[in-house]
Amino acid sequence: MIIVTRVAILMTRLLLTVVTIVFTGAARGDIADPYPSTYSPPAATEVVFTNARILVGNGDAIERGYVWLADGEIVAVGAGEPAGTGAGQQVIDVSGSWITPGIIDVHSHLGVYPSPSYAPHSDGNEATSPVTAEVWAEHSVWPQDPQFPLALAGGVTTLQILPGSANLIGGRSVVLKNVSSRTVQGMKYPGAPYGLKMACGENPKRVYGSKGSSPATRMGNMAGYRAAWIKAQDYQRKWQAYEEKLADFEASDKEDKTRPEPPGRDLQSETLVGVLEGEILVHNHCYRADEMANMIDLSREFGYRITTFQHAVESYKIADLLAENNICSAMWADWARFKLESFDGIEENAALVENAGACAIVHSDSAFDIQRLNQEAAKALAAGQRMGLDMGIETAISWITLNAARALGLEDEIGSIEVGKVADIVVWDGNPFSVYTRTKLVLIDGVVRFDRAKGIVPVTDFELGYRTGATQ
Amino acid sequence: MNKLTIRFCFCVCLSAFVLSMPAVAADYLIKNGRLVTSSEAGVIDRGDILVRDGRIEQIGSVLDVPGATVIDAAGAWVTPGLFDSSTYLGLGEVESSTVRSDHRLRDSDMGAGFQVALAIDRHSQLIPITRIEGVTRAIVKPSAGSEVFAGQSAIIHLAGTRDFIVNDSNAVFVELGEGGRRYAGGSRAKALIDLVDALREAKEYSNHRRDIERARFRDLRESTLDLEALVPVLARDKPLVIDVDRASEIEMVLDRLGEFDIGIVLVGGREAWKVRDLLADRGVSVVIDPLDNIPRNFDLLATRLDNAAMLAAAGVTVAFMTSDLFGDNRTLTQGAGVAVANGMDWQDAVNAITSNAARIWGLADSYGKLERGMDADIVIWNGDPLELMSAPTTMLIKGQPVKLESRQTQLRDRYKDLRVFSR
Repeated sequence: MIIVTRVAILMTRLLLTVVTIVFTGAARGDIADPYPSTYSPPAATEVVFTNARILVGNGDAIERGYVWLADGEIVAVGAGEPAGTGAGQQVIDVSGSWITPGIIDVHSHLGVYPSPSYAPHSDGNEATSPVTAEVWAEHSVWPQDPQFPLALAGGVTTLQILPGSANLIGGRSVVLKNVSSRTVQGMKYPGAPYGLKMACGENPKRVYGSKGSSPATRMGNMAGYRAAWIKAQDYQRKWQAYEEKLADFEASDKEDKTRPEPPGRDLQSETLVGVLEGEILVHNHCYRADEMANMIDLSREFGYRITTFQHAVESYKIADLLAENNICSAMWADWARFKLESFDGIEENAALVENAGACAIVHSDSAFDIQRLNQEAAKALAAGQRMGLDMGIETAISWITLNAARALGLEDEIGSIEVGKVADIVVWDGNPFSVYTRTKLVLIDGVVRFDRAKGIVPVTDFELGYRTGATQ
Repeated sequence: MNKLTIRFCFCVCLSAFVLSMPAVAADYLIKNGRLVTSSEAGVIDRGDILVRDGRIEQIGSVLDVPGATVIDAAGAWVTPGLFDSSTYLGLGEVESSTVRSDHRLRDSDMGAGFQVALAIDRHSQLIPITRIEGVTRAIVKPSAGSEVFAGQSAIIHLAGTRDFIVNDSNAVFVELGEGGRRYAGGSRAKALIDLVDALREAKEYSNHRRDIERARFRDLRESTLDLEALVPVLARDKPLVIDVDRASEIEMVLDRLGEFDIGIVLVGGREAWKVRDLLADRGVSVVIDPLDNIPRNFDLLATRLDNAAMLAAAGVTVAFMTSDLFGDNRTLTQGAGVAVANGMDWQDAVNAITSNAARIWGLADSYGKLERGMDADIVIWNGDPLELMSAPTTMLIKGQPVKLESRQTQLRDRYKDLRVFSR
């Protein structure tokens, strides 16, 4: 069985490489992948956790079972005792503990809004123009942000760092592994698709309206998106025409013919074309149901797909529409009323979205909540159960694991404890839906990155002298 | 018969009527609860509570009281109503730069004299939204906006009835730390100078009131309204509540305020664990948000999740607050639970949202415990009250049942079946 698994892993990796090549096709520059990930996990010991209660992430649960990790992958998982363990594996009896997939946060600003939070650290919003599709969040990430280890202690293994919401189109997101590194390249999730941050509602119109420029209204917001997509479509056509000419040229005898000149590069449109070509995933900050409906129409007008609505506090009002359009909602459990467009937030939101057959995700957008996404999921689940919806923790765990992976385009790699997937695992000292439960171990690619008992936790440069030992 | 006689007769007659039928006055009998008393009685595994005239008349293994409305808790957890030690409830519906609120003075030089109680809207929808989480009492506090003194806080109960103000001025709030630096003109040293100076002047004021009224005294720097507000602080009738985080600043403030015989409460207190023995020694209570561990400025770099546990273990009286003052006061029990996960004793954590809050805020005679004579603020839960998935099933505030409904539950019910909507 293990051999079959390894083949599957190799296939996955091969596929990943292919995917990476396709992605970089969107980059019109000379270098295919100018900002590559340099992350590569250290060698992991082969380990088998036994006697664990397992929440698989895909809706399943195992009352008492094992998880077998080798070479950074999950090679076996099941109920009861594992067969075939020997001297080659470290077998750890974790009776009383629960195991979940690594927690995934699809909405974070760690690194781009680090602590301490002073203006020189404020790198999340390029609030100088309503469309800044040309900026990339990874170029703002400070890897020494002390909030990363706090999130790790909360079980977060993968997180998407987004630009802020000041702009209609804020720029590219980046998906990170929550590992300590001197560089952002060392944290960057290899092969993960980029995301594009878009924002509805109050923020863009406030930021630019208050400067006396457009957008100052919600209709101004819509006009702004449309103008940007029209420009991107023009750009796409120019490049398509060039590529056709180039192909003709290459196929010709080339005599008496001049090689066609490529059009000038435009970083903004490059990213937007990446969306139009399906390589970059749209993460659209949008609170109100009516605005989400407008954004769905917008996506149809220009032929792109919305992967998630972020902060979707009113998804429960249009859960049917979201299910039909296969759009995920990333939601808080109970944070609302901090601005008018969040006024109608209800605790049952995630459960109602799940119940409608749409994709529900619990996200943080917060250096606090990212430490306790399991607790946020618990509150959201409890609200649903109280109103009589029939769902349990096996489902709710997917809101912070497999559904989140799906929103990042990584559902084949992370988000559930299934054979062939990456060994991102959290061992909890009890039921993760209990307030009294804390993480014991957090593994990323099979490597222990956090061990509460042994005091293994990254200490960022900034914390030295100030906070050593404060992350727990 | 004159009016007085009529009234006298009415009272006597009514009393006689009530005395002859004692059962009529027995309002509610909560039976078979797992009673978390927050008192010396600890947790009573199986007990009853008799509520009469808005108060707890009897507690323990009671009772059959004819005529009482019986609420069968069927083994469920029962706690005192919870207390959030920092809110802006009723001072604004939403946190926004354009929807104005009443918690902060911006264009005024009033300091300690500012009394937020006068601005509270008891019909605010945030009150039922907060209440539904088991919260029956709260501090409504001012924030500093123009000087180090923020003003006077109020205590409200969350029934939303006409008598909602429990105390219209229970404490005077001061902001030091980074806020104090800003409001004092650029340095936290000046903020402390301002604070000490104001207290000294208030002392003079209370000693020379008559001379001052007759203008036979030098001109005062503070207004009489501000000084009047500080007199009860100097008399130890109200605490001085100091918003401060940095450990060194806490030490300095306590040293400098040593010349006054006043009760001090710290709020924020994110580095308080570093000076916990000093705090215990000086009898200073601390109000914290137990979820707050982000080192977001240089005043609170050492903030950590076991702050509460370390303070309580050192003998400091700790109460909890939620930090999200408008948006959500819904993390109170979660915060208490996280404090337990990080080493705090469970009962200490419960006390931090019940009896300790009562002690700190001067309400210990009437609220905070399931004990005979206390106001009947009682919550019945469907599980461990600190657990994420538990919620109140029945609540009484001052002996009266309150609805577990809010604008949010109405929204939920409106949208729970989307088939009724056309596109």
